[in-house]
Amino acid sequence: MGSDEKGVFVDKQRDFVLRTIEERGIKFVRLWFTDVVGTLKSVAIAPAEVEGAFSEGLGFDGSAIEGLTRSFESDLLAFPDPATFQILPWRGSIDPTARMFCDITTPDGQPAVADPRNVLKRTLEKAADKGFTFYTHPEIEFYLLKSSEYGPSGPKPVDKAGYFDNVPGGTAHDFRRDSVRMLEDLGISVEFSHHEAGHGQNEIDLRYADALTTADNIMTFRTVVKEVAIEQGVYATFMPKPLSNQPGSGMHTHLSLFEGDQNAFYEPGAQYRLSKTGRQFVAGLLTHAPEITAVTNQFVNSYKRLWGGGEAPSFVCWGHNNRSALVRVPMYKPNKGQSVRVEYRGIDSASNPYLSFSLLLAAGMKGIEEGYELPPEAEDNVWQLTDSERRALGFNPLPASLDHAIAAMENSELVAETLGEQVFNYSILNKREEWRGYRAEVTPFELKHNLGIL
Amino acid sequence: MARTSSLTELARAGFSELTRSRDDLAALDAAQLWPRADWLEFFSASADPDSSLRCVRDLLERAPEEAAAVILAVPQRLVRLLGASQALGDFFVRNPRELEWLTDPDVSPLPGSDYIASLLGSVEAQGGVAGLTGDPGWVALRIRYRRHVARLACYDLESSEPARAFDEVARALSDLAGAALEASLAVARASLADPTSLGQTFPREQVAAARLAIIAMGKAGARELNYVSDVDVIFVGEPDEAETVTTDRALLITTRLAAETMRGIYEYSREPGLWEVDPNLRPEGKDGALVRTLASHRAYYDRWAKGWEFQALLKARPIAGDSELGADYLAALSPLVWASGARENFVGSVQRMRERVTEHIPSEDVNYQIKLGPGGLRDVEFTVQLLQLVHGQADDTVRQRGTLPAIHALAEGGYIGRDDAAQFSAAYRLLRLLEHRLQLRHLARTALMPTAADDQRWLARASGLAPTAEGLVALWESTKYSVRSLHLKLFYRPLLEAAASADSIPVGDTTLTNDQAAARLAAIGFLDPRGALRHIAVLTSGVSRRATIQRALLPVLLHWFSEGSDPDYGLLAFRRISDTLGTTPWYLRLLRDSTAAAGRLTTVLSGSRFIGELMEKMPESVAWLEGDNRLRRLPTSVLNEEIDAILARHDSIDAAAVPIRHIRRREILRSAIASLVGVATARDTAQALSDINTAVLRGLLGAIRSHAAVSHGDGIEFAVIAMGRYGGTEMGFGSDLDLMYVFRPTHSGLDTGQAVAQFIVSELKRLTEDPSLPFDIDLGLRPEGKNGPVVRSLDSYRAYYERWSLTWEAQALLRARPVAGDTALRDDFMELADSVRYRDGVSDLELREIRRIKARIESERLPQGADPLRHLKLGRGSLSDVEWFVQLTQLVHAHDIPGLRTTSTLEALEVAAAYALVTEEDALLLRESWVLATQIRSALTLWLNKTSDVLPVDRAQLEGIARIVGLPAGSATDLEQLYLATTRRARAVFERDFYGEP
Repeated sequence: MGSDEKGVFVDKQRDFVLRTIEERGIKFVRLWFTDVVGTLKSVAIAPAEVEGAFSEGLGFDGSAIEGLTRSFESDLLAFPDPATFQILPWRGSIDPTARMFCDITTPDGQPAVADPRNVLKRTLEKAADKGFTFYTHPEIEFYLLKSSEYGPSGPKPVDKAGYFDNVPGGTAHDFRRDSVRMLEDLGISVEFSHHEAGHGQNEIDLRYADALTTADNIMTFRTVVKEVAIEQGVYATFMPKPLSNQPGSGMHTHLSLFEGDQNAFYEPGAQYRLSKTGRQFVAGLLTHAPEITAVTNQFVNSYKRLWGGGEAPSFVCWGHNNRSALVRVPMYKPNKGQSVRVEYRGIDSASNPYLSFSLLLAAGMKGIEEGYELPPEAEDNVWQLTDSERRALGFNPLPASLDHAIAAMENSELVAETLGEQVFNYSILNKREEWRGYRAEVTPFELKHNLGIL
Repeated sequence: MARTSSLTELARAGFSELTRSRDDLAALDAAQLWPRADWLEFFSASADPDSSLRCVRDLLERAPEEAAAVILAVPQRLVRLLGASQALGDFFVRNPRELEWLTDPDVSPLPGSDYIASLLGSVEAQGGVAGLTGDPGWVALRIRYRRHVARLACYDLESSEPARAFDEVARALSDLAGAALEASLAVARASLADPTSLGQTFPREQVAAARLAIIAMGKAGARELNYVSDVDVIFVGEPDEAETVTTDRALLITTRLAAETMRGIYEYSREPGLWEVDPNLRPEGKDGALVRTLASHRAYYDRWAKGWEFQALLKARPIAGDSELGADYLAALSPLVWASGARENFVGSVQRMRERVTEHIPSEDVNYQIKLGPGGLRDVEFTVQLLQLVHGQADDTVRQRGTLPAIHALAEGGYIGRDDAAQFSAAYRLLRLLEHRLQLRHLARTALMPTAADDQRWLARASGLAPTAEGLVALWESTKYSVRSLHLKLFYRPLLEAAASADSIPVGDTTLTNDQAAARLAAIGFLDPRGALRHIAVLTSGVSRRATIQRALLPVLLHWFSEGSDPDYGLLAFRRISDTLGTTPWYLRLLRDSTAAAGRLTTVLSGSRFIGELMEKMPESVAWLEGDNRLRRLPTSVLNEEIDAILARHDSIDAAAVPIRHIRRREILRSAIASLVGVATARDTAQALSDINTAVLRGLLGAIRSHAAVSHGDGIEFAVIAMGRYGGTEMGFGSDLDLMYVFRPTHSGLDTGQAVAQFIVSELKRLTEDPSLPFDIDLGLRPEGKNGPVVRSLDSYRAYYERWSLTWEAQALLRARPVAGDTALRDDFMELADSVRYRDGVSDLELREIRRIKARIESERLPQGADPLRHLKLGRGSLSDVEWFVQLTQLVHAHDIPGLRTTSTLEALEVAAAYALVTEEDALLLRESWVLATQIRSALTLWLNKTSDVLPVDRAQLEGIARIVGLPAGSATDLEQLYLATTRRARAVFERDFYGEP
């Protein structure tokens, strides 16, 4: 069953799962894992097969899954992690269904190098060797649309409300209430939910948790939101920028490191209570931001959000409560030393959370290991500066397109080392393919501006 | 009575500082307690009469009354105790009132509950809260603790068979440690609720409501504690049932309680600390929270714990504090230990745990370490734990915390022989007794055998194990030896017995079933344990001398096979070789007498099929394994002589070719073994492989031509040119032999000699053909490649090169090196080659052409479906990238830089870096990639016994290759990552330096 790092299969938890399946009359158990792109994969097995899956894993053909294996090495095993067992609330009581996340291994029990969950576990372990635990808290934005179909003017949002607006009797309100309840049923604590700035845009914040749990929760979250939308006859999308005249959907993520029970970012007398470790961590994030962007913002569309103005963090800088900075150090709340954190605003809602968290952690840890110096903070709205001003202040832009992002990533030892050689290589090939496809497309923009006059 | 003794008398009584002791004795006489003769008799039974005497004198001076009372009551006991423990002597000097506690006739160990009552009493505890706080409490409990230790030491020293008393003493020490923690916790509770004390305090009812359980791990948990050793603990904290306090509050309070409890045991004070309390086995070690809730402990072990942490849990036992919470902890976590055993590779993690331990011993101490050194206590414990983990999953009777109970249970279950178990237990007790006596002397944590003769003599007397220092050391050495050999016997001997009894009557007194034996073999890495049992049965059955020797040897051989990457194949090959060699005397002698050779045999057989299969055909090669001399490559002159002698002996060249091919196989096997066991470097191996092929070509070429002269008339000069890796003397196992042939007619005429040359070439091919180790001549680098004639005249070469002047040909010639044939022709050919390969520079047009060809090859030459990332020859950043880069540098600069005129890729790269044609960093990255790809190709051949140019995806293959390349066990993924990263970096350099501006 794999090496020390693998989820340890504990009699008690396993027994609990098997017992619950019996008691609750579960008819199907879905085994979940994630491909390199961040798409949730699911295999349903019958209750009778669960015990075998715990002890021997469930064999499957990995070559069918994006980026999971080299095409010619196809045998992989999925080992369900009993700690992640949950009954899925939306299947009703007719055919009760449960799910567990899986760790993927090779037939000889080594963690599959290309399993994103394993990439994150590996990165967390490296940090643990240095005495750190990594906590994250994502604010996930998404749009509710009337349908996934769209007309010539693009997709249609369900409402026209704005930030924090309460829409009486509105779809969004019911929607958030149902989603939140379903998430709580799944054991995922929700911190906050509100209407966002864009028409039909919503945000739901997940409670602080260790990064692995958070990443699992994000995968569940996306599924829940899509399911609830279907129930209510609307369509939910995590696309980074579905509407050109509305803000994009980001996944601002609050990050903190703990040393034992102590928040390593907290230092009583320091500016913003941000410790030296915290400053070095932020310096690491900034230094390596361009090279990790192809992962945190992995689609052609992601760059429409990054460069769409508004609150999008297009420039590599940090600030205190500065909503235009890439990294924000939020206001310190008195007597809340444990809650000191930094917010990375670059990620979008469509990224693979396992890989994105891995890279954010690796970049921050690099800052700590190498003792990077934190540059001066950005006090102005970076968007309102001129190009020359920004250059003078040293605020470099994030990659302007997926193409630039790939180029930045290709030369990154940090990314290669963190993702592992296979995932790294696969990502580059996969993203290049996407860029090629996009480049070949003649867009409505071109037709609109060129056809009539040329 | 005040008569002075002679110094001789004192010496006879065991004193060493005679004059000084005579004065001290005179002081005793003044007290008029015992006659001199009696004193001398008392002291003669003491381990250290001098220091004992000095201490008695001290006591009499400091506390005449108390001392006199105990001296009159139990003189022998006192003298013996003070001779064995100066530290306890000091204790009584500090606390003379404690002396009266030595006068009890019965000093046997007490039940644990009595110790707890006594220590709680010392701090005036009521309901778990002490009447004393802080320092006074600490002093009180420490004095009480030492009172009991002193009585226990008396019991130990007076025991007629101290090694037997060990169990009882260690049990009592563990209980005492628990009692001390209990008392210290009571003091901590009082201190924490004491409003007058410094620091943060808490309301009394809150302190009472915070439940804290102290769990002992390690020796304290197993109830096998030493006089002085770290006591490993874990703390569990919870609020009370009524939740008088919140969980957070309870954790805050219990964390303070835990810290205070530890301080009470060892913090500096008037009465010195007892021992270290070590909480570092807790979740997350030093970085983790000191106290966790039960749920938090469980969550950690469910999710993050590593293999060795479960092994630590094996000995967990609640020792103090809230006993109900302690029991809950145990109930929640102990099932995990045995679940962890079910995981594959757990034996690997046990072994890593031991390696971690041995790595930390300073090397100068290794041979004096009673605990950690070879044959020490750690070896005993390791063997026992390993067997417990293998068999404890199916049989809960062997799940014992203590080492001795575990040995007993293993013997009861028939997993190990009774006699072996008895010997093992005896060795363990003896080592522990030595450790105990050493610690008792200064009440210090030590496990080092003293090196000074005086100290060894003291240890001999204190332990009663031997009359002299020499006797003690000899006994210790033999115990260490027996522990080492017993590991093999306990683990492997029963396997032999199980194999032998499969179809007949039981042998020996273990009753391992076939299934249990198979489980044990599977646990150490045999994939087909039943097959292995069959081989073991065949190897050990019968009454022949060979079977007898193999029975004796197989335990250790199995151990070694299990450390190799393919134990199953290793054992099978060993069985075959053993069958072939049968009763050959040298073989039996080698097995019996040369452990090193037998060890090497298992290494090469379980690590390389290539070697295994060649060795089966040439079993005499086993003899080379003794020593390094016969593994070194033979000088070319010796090879040539041997081949010439064969040719001279045989009339027919076909008949001679047979033994010549044998010589080639033999020498390649020799260098394969040498490379695997580390006698030869990669450079040695490359040289050896090149030499043997050259010798064969030279010999056969000569023979063909002298025979041909008879039938055809020769009339030509002929030469063989090595190309590619052969030309560069950079061959590995499985490399092709890249060649070109050239001839020159010796007289002008119609007959150009082409037919003769072609005949020679085809004869060379025919005679070198060897199905069991292919010769693989590759003529693909000749002009026009596959479309060109297999052999050309020198003129034809010249005409070709002049007409076409292709950079491609020049590039191939960079590694041309003549290896056989007529000297004059060889020289002329090389002159021609030099004019082509080292010509003056390369034009821009040619440069572009070279780059374009390379770019095209990258897409075309790669076999269908091959993954460019894993192709060792043509893949991203692998051999061909590096070689093309080096060759381009040579083409451009070799005309001006003679140092670049070498056939060796690595040498040329080095020169290029020295002349700054490439930066040092880039050269290093290219070199690393080339070397690694080369190593892996060679390793693939050794492992699989067939050549392959692709880094495998199969995990077992990766593992085997990783070992040959020199990585530690379990490195399959590491090797893969290493290769992919190394070639990725090399490719980045290549793209910049090759496709960019040179």
